[in-house]
Amino acid sequence: MRQTFLGVFGIVLFLALWEVVGRTQVLGISWPPLSDVLDMLAAPDRRALFQRALGATLESTALGYLWGASAGLILAAVAHLLPALRRGSDRLAAVLNSVPSIALGPIFLVLLTRESTPAAVSSIHVFFIVFVSVSSGLQRATPAHRDLFAVLGADRLKRFGRLEMPAALPSLVSGLRLAWPAALIGAIIGEWFGAPRGIGILIINAMQNFQIVLLWCAVLLAVGASLFFYGLLTLLERAAYARFG
Amino acid sequence: MEETKRPLLLRLVEDYWGILLLLIAWQAWVVINRFNPIVMPTPTAVLHDLVSHPGVYLDNVAITLAIAVFGLVMGMLVGTGLAVAAWFSPIASGLLNPLTVLFSSVPVVALIPVIARLLGYDTSTVLAIVVIITFFPSFVFASSGLRQPPPGSEDLFRVLGSSRLDLLRRLALPAAMPNLAIAFKLASAHAILAAMVAEFLMGTTGLGYLFAKTKSDFQTEQAFGASLVATVISAAAFLAAGWVEKKVRERYS
Repeated sequence: MRQTFLGVFGIVLFLALWEVVGRTQVLGISWPPLSDVLDMLAAPDRRALFQRALGATLESTALGYLWGASAGLILAAVAHLLPALRRGSDRLAAVLNSVPSIALGPIFLVLLTRESTPAAVSSIHVFFIVFVSVSSGLQRATPAHRDLFAVLGADRLKRFGRLEMPAALPSLVSGLRLAWPAALIGAIIGEWFGAPRGIGILIINAMQNFQIVLLWCAVLLAVGASLFFYGLLTLLERAAYARFG
Repeated sequence: MEETKRPLLLRLVEDYWGILLLLIAWQAWVVINRFNPIVMPTPTAVLHDLVSHPGVYLDNVAITLAIAVFGLVMGMLVGTGLAVAAWFSPIASGLLNPLTVLFSSVPVVALIPVIARLLGYDTSTVLAIVVIITFFPSFVFASSGLRQPPPGSEDLFRVLGSSRLDLLRRLALPAAMPNLAIAFKLASAHAILAAMVAEFLMGTTGLGYLFAKTKSDFQTEQAFGASLVATVISAAAFLAAGWVEKKVRERYS
């Protein structure tokens, strides 16, 4: 109770501080008061712009999230079933994750279209997180359970489907939760390489044209989109741990 | 050891089949489509550029690496320091905890333009961005680690009459080490990539700037060379940090 109160108070304090710093302009004009940013976010004449940008970014993020999560899940499952491939797939995943996102943009631009580059960059981020979490989750089944399945005559695939996959579910869901902000970052960076619209475009344009309040609006939109789905996934994670943890 | 018994070739294929496949596919894709090297160079052309202009790469690697390492150390120090301060004061930790959890799920790349506007477009801003990005994981992981000493051990320390400072030094900090190692692993891979994105956006110096500049000058081979170097460094940092994490876990838990 006390912790909740303190936590809420901390957030309110932060927002109030933001407003005061903006009003008094201690940090210069680059730090606008929160109320100005919220005013612009709510302004009717900007609504269409924000909706288009947010819609485009969310669509790319969701697509990339889906591709990346599927690829990570499949590669982790294959590497688990065929141990000879395991070491190589670990290294492939680590290297893919180490490619700078700004380099992925131009590659996907040639490989795909301008419109699907954000989703592709985002899918690489998601792929790694899901791959790592599923790989470690698949090893969570206890030896006793494995022995039981062996004694009862379950083959490799049955053991995988009925024992190891369910045991890996909590890790998968944790991975999915952590992957969302990463997916959003991927989509935003991907948009810098010629996407027609999106939060990333809004951020770059506002930054280059010195539209400070607009820049903060775009950042707030990105933060909001991140936190909203992150919160939803946290709830899903709790449910998964309660059932399979 | 079985490791050394496997023939070298088999070991290479087993460990690196994915990466080899990727490189072969890249080479084949460019050759078959007959891409102009300005659009998409082959991996061999990129490698050739790397070997023939080592100076350009080395200078920029040195800058980016220095910023990443220095920023990582500062970020971890500030994060751990604040976590310790919050450990001393329940009020401070109550105020800070939800905020940092909130911030750690924020897409940090979106904040780079804002930080750049606030601090100006130069190298110290790149450093600040790396510090901020590595701060969050270290604060979050250090705070939770400080609060998870083995059950009962805190009572023992209290019964034996140790001060709060002793408790911190001999119990809470060692208990937080494995968590800090995880934070280190997460942050070290991100430090270089974050520095690169910042350099790319602000056009100052370093690998990210080299990438942006060569890309717009149509020296695509060099742009990909810069990315290749960054990939290798970042993957090496990730592997090295994983090794450190394992050692710390063995030592402290």
